[in-house]
Amino acid sequence: MGEPPQQLIRDARRGKEEALLRLFDEHHLPLFRFAWRLTGSIADAEDIVQDCFVALLRPDCGFDPARTTVRTYLFGAVRNQWLKRLRRQEQRLAPEPMDHRTPETETLRNEVTRVVAGAIAELPATQREVLLLAHYEQLSLAAIAEIMQLEITAVKSRLQRARAALREILAAYAPERSGLYERQ
Amino acid sequence: MNDNELDRLLDLWEAPPPRRSLRDGLQARFPRSDRRGFASPLRWALAILLASVALAGAVAIAQSSDTLSDLPVVRTLNDLYQNFLEARQAGRAKSIVTRIAESEPQVFVDGRSVAPLEFGPAATMNVQIPGEGVYSITSYPVAERRTADGRPTGWVEAGHIHGKVIEFRAAGKQVRIECNKPIVDGDRPVFAIHRP
Repeated sequence: MGEPPQQLIRDARRGKEEALLRLFDEHHLPLFRFAWRLTGSIADAEDIVQDCFVALLRPDCGFDPARTTVRTYLFGAVRNQWLKRLRRQEQRLAPEPMDHRTPETETLRNEVTRVVAGAIAELPATQREVLLLAHYEQLSLAAIAEIMQLEITAVKSRLQRARAALREILAAYAPERSGLYERQ
Repeated sequence: MNDNELDRLLDLWEAPPPRRSLRDGLQARFPRSDRRGFASPLRWALAILLASVALAGAVAIAQSSDTLSDLPVVRTLNDLYQNFLEARQAGRAKSIVTRIAESEPQVFVDGRSVAPLEFGPAATMNVQIPGEGVYSITSYPVAERRTADGRPTGWVEAGHIHGKVIEFRAAGKQVRIECNKPIVDGDRPVFAIHRP
């Protein structure tokens, strides 16, 4: 149906803005969500996503359609941009609980949401990335392995460790114990 | 806590939608090629030559007794002008489609929500009308064609776009497409054709 991404990238490099916007429209949402969950900041997530699309236009961009899909490549680019920023800012942890507050912070749902965000933020970075890609973006273990340049078995074990840690941290908030779902 | 319970808890942490500035910012950063200047002496020479030819042509026309529209140069200029107008209209129609695509359009037929708008080639959009099939619409001013007794055989002016709304009639039904932001200033006609 649509043009292949490599054709759109070629067109965009030749100055066709609509080609870049088509790529953007197709892929920006999951990339933005991933970047936001990594950084906890809408502004930072937007910067990262824009940087990734602009980087696609550079002739030295490493995207190779024979090796990977453009979405997997872009997820990897988001991750690299985030790591770069992390090193630059020397900040250990991205999502601050305050960033996820809404005017209805008094509700249990929002309290639990903050706890969940905080619990994920407490995970070691590599476990957190695997969890975000696997749970929130529903990527396969193979795709995550490609993005993070790990073996599939390593991805699998990190995901298991992340989920085990979250189970422990969030035990008190299990739905049937907290009554969270009944109150909605 | 089992896997399902953990998943439900994790799902509570929803990401906000990106702001419009994300797309706008990317567009602003898109490297546009600079417009070519007119600095080269060769280009200036060409411009002076063309101006001279135009002036000579004007003098020749003034001295000629022929009808202006019969002159080849006038016909060529007229064709060029018509092509320019058509390209401009096509550009406008395309930008309207782009604005509609970015405005989360919702389609209603006789007040009932129907399948989403599909975007076709050449500044057209397709609307699925239950029981009637697909109608293509465009804001490009296409010429109407009718049989001797007035029945349409091609595109017909069927409605208009005003503000955030596109309204037209097709197969005796009222079609309304609502966008979340203004598409045009003022009012523009909409043309439709049945795609059997």
